[in-house]
Amino acid sequence: MSFMTYLGKRVMRMVLSLTAVSMITFTLLQLAPGNFADIQRISAGAAQFGGSGTEDMVHAFASRYGDDIPAWRQYLIFMKGAVTWDFGPSYKYPTQDVQDIIAQGFPISATIALIAVALSLLIAIPIGVYAAVRQNSPADHGTMFLITLGTALPNYLTGVILVLFFTLTLGVLPSSGWAGPHYMIMPVLALVLGPTAVLARYVRSSMLETLREEYVVAALAKGGPRSTVIMRHALRNSLIPIVTVLGPLLASLMTGTVFVEALFRIPGLGLYFAQAAASRDMPLLMGTALFFALILMTMNLIVDLVYGYLDPRIRAAGGVSRWRRSQKSPLRQPA
Amino acid sequence: MSPSLEVEGLRTEFGLRDRVLRVVDDVSFTVEPGQALAIVGESGSGKSVAMRSVMRLLPKTGRIAGGQARLGGTDLLALSERQMRKVRGRDIGMVFQNAMEALNPTLTLERQLTEHLKWHGICDHAEAKRRAVETLGDVGIPEPEKRIRTYPFQLSGGMRQRAMIAMAMVTQPSVLIADEPTTAVDVTVQRQLLDLLAELKARGTGIIMITHDLGVARYFCDDAMVMYAGRVVEHGPIRRLLSRPAHPYTTGLFESTLEVGARQRALLPIPGSPPDLAYRPTGCAFHPRCGRAEERCGREEQPLLPWPGHGEVDLLHAGAGPERNAERREVACWKAVEHG
Repeated sequence: MSFMTYLGKRVMRMVLSLTAVSMITFTLLQLAPGNFADIQRISAGAAQFGGSGTEDMVHAFASRYGDDIPAWRQYLIFMKGAVTWDFGPSYKYPTQDVQDIIAQGFPISATIALIAVALSLLIAIPIGVYAAVRQNSPADHGTMFLITLGTALPNYLTGVILVLFFTLTLGVLPSSGWAGPHYMIMPVLALVLGPTAVLARYVRSSMLETLREEYVVAALAKGGPRSTVIMRHALRNSLIPIVTVLGPLLASLMTGTVFVEALFRIPGLGLYFAQAAASRDMPLLMGTALFFALILMTMNLIVDLVYGYLDPRIRAAGGVSRWRRSQKSPLRQPA
Repeated sequence: MSPSLEVEGLRTEFGLRDRVLRVVDDVSFTVEPGQALAIVGESGSGKSVAMRSVMRLLPKTGRIAGGQARLGGTDLLALSERQMRKVRGRDIGMVFQNAMEALNPTLTLERQLTEHLKWHGICDHAEAKRRAVETLGDVGIPEPEKRIRTYPFQLSGGMRQRAMIAMAMVTQPSVLIADEPTTAVDVTVQRQLLDLLAELKARGTGIIMITHDLGVARYFCDDAMVMYAGRVVEHGPIRRLLSRPAHPYTTGLFESTLEVGARQRALLPIPGSPPDLAYRPTGCAFHPRCGRAEERCGREEQPLLPWPGHGEVDLLHAGAGPERNAERREVACWKAVEHG
C-alpha cells in the first residue's frame, strides 16, 4: 500500500471521527441543564443589567441560530459553517468568531505545550535510562521516588509554589499575564513536572524491557562498549512505546491546560474551553471541542508516522494497526 | 595458527535473595583450532551459562566463582572489562538460537554487520562494508550487496540465521560459540547451517556448539561434553560416546532422542525432570532419575574419572591404532567406571 493511500484512508477516518465527536458533543450540550441565556440571566443577571440587558445577548446569538428553532437544525447550521472552518460568533463574545478565538488562543497554548513537552523529554529520557541501567540500586530507587512525587503534585500547586518563590520571594518573574518570553517561564515549569514524571517512568520500564532483549546481549557479545550498545541498540527500541504516550500528551497540553492558564492569566485555549462549557456557549464549545479532536487525531497520525520512522517493521506493514494485526495472526508469524 | 580455548575448573554462581546457587560447577574442556565441541544437556543444565561465563556476559546476579578460561595463554576471567571487550566479537564470536531475537529489528544488516569491525578498530566503514557483503555471500545469501541494506524482518528465517552467523564470522574469530544455532529453524535449513559451521571448522575455527540434539552434534563435532545440573557427567570423542554411552544420563538422552533414518528403537523418556539447583540431590545429582541407582549413588559425590571403556566396540575406528585409544573418555559415575 502506498503512502498516499495510507494517508488518504487515515484522513477519511478522521473526518468520520470528527463527525461523531460533533454529534456527541452537541447531544451532551443539549442534555446539560440550562442554556446560554439562562446562565447569563443568572450570573450577569438582573442586578447589573436591570433585568433587560440579557435580551440583547439573546438577540445576538438568535441572529444565527434563533432560540426557537429545533436543536437538530441548530446543529446542521453549525456544521454547515464548520465544514468551511466558520464556526460563527461566540455567544459570550458576540463580536468574535470562534475560529478567531481559536486562532488567538491556540498558538499561545501550543507554544507553552511544545516547550514543556520538549523540556520533559530532555529531562525524562536521561533519567529513565539512568534508572534502568542501575536497576534496583539506591540511585534507581531515589529517582523513582522523586518521580512518584512529581506525578502526585498537580500542576496548579506547582504553579503556586513557583509564584511564591520567583515572584514573592525573589521578585524576578511576573506572576501573571502574557507580554513576553519571560512570562512563559513559570507556566512551562509548572507544566513540565507531571509529563516528566510520566515519561521517565515509561522510559525506565521500556528500557528495562529492551535491555533484556537478546539483541542487546548479542551486541555486547560483539564487543560493543556498554554505552554504545545502550544508545544505539537499546534506546531507539525503547523509545518506540514512548512515542505512543507522547502524542496524546502533547495534544492535551496543546489544547490548553485550564488550571495553569487560569492561574497565570494566560489567554490560551484552555481558558476559553472551560468558559464555553460552563456558560453553554454552543458555538465556542463545539468549535473548541472539534478543534481538540482534530489536534488529537493529527497527533496520533504523526505518532504513527514517527513509529514508522523508528521501527522499519511498521513502515513495511503500512501503519501500526496493520503491523499489530500481522503480529497477532499466527499464519503470518515470522519463523 | 589460531589459539585454542582451554577452560579449567569453571565455577559460576547466581546469588539469590538468601542463597547462592552453583549453576556451573567445575567445568573443564579444551577446544583446539579446527575442532568442534558439543555441549549437550537438558535446559537448565548450565551449558549456556558456562558459555556466557567464558564471554563474561552473565546477568547481574551471576558471578564467576573460580576457574580459568585461557585463550592462547591469556586467562579471560582475569581480564579487565575493557580488555575483555576486545576479546568479545573479535577473538570469540557468538551465534544465538534465534536470529529474530538476536538481531536488532530496527537496524539494517549493514549497521549490525559492520559496527563491531569498527569497534575493534579492524577497518574503516568502507572496508567493513566490503567484508560484510563478502561474508553474507559466503554464508549463502544471494545478492548480498542488496540484502545488506535490508532489516532482519525482511529476510526469511533461514536467511536471518545465516545473517547472524555472518555477523559473528565477519571478524574471523578464532573461536565461535553457537548456542543452539539450529533449534529455531526448519530441518532443511538446519542442514545448510550445519554445513556452514562445518566449513568454518575446516577453515580452522574452533567451534563450541551448545545443543540438546545429539543428531546435530554428531554431524560435525569431534568431542561431546554432557552436562547435568551444572556438572559434566561425561566427556569424550563424540563418535565413541554415541556408540557406547557410559553415563546412565547420556544413555537416557540417546534413548529419548528421535533418530531420522535409523531404525527407530523404542523412545524412552528419562523419568522426572532436571533438579532445582536450590535442592540439588546429594551424591550424584542424577540418581533420583536413574534406573541403575544404588544406595551409594545418593551418598557419594561422583567425580569425573577416566573411563576404561568397558565393552566398547569402536566399529568406526576399529584398528585405528594406538592414538585412538589415547583419546580420553571421562565419566562421573562409579558404576560405569567399575562395571561399565
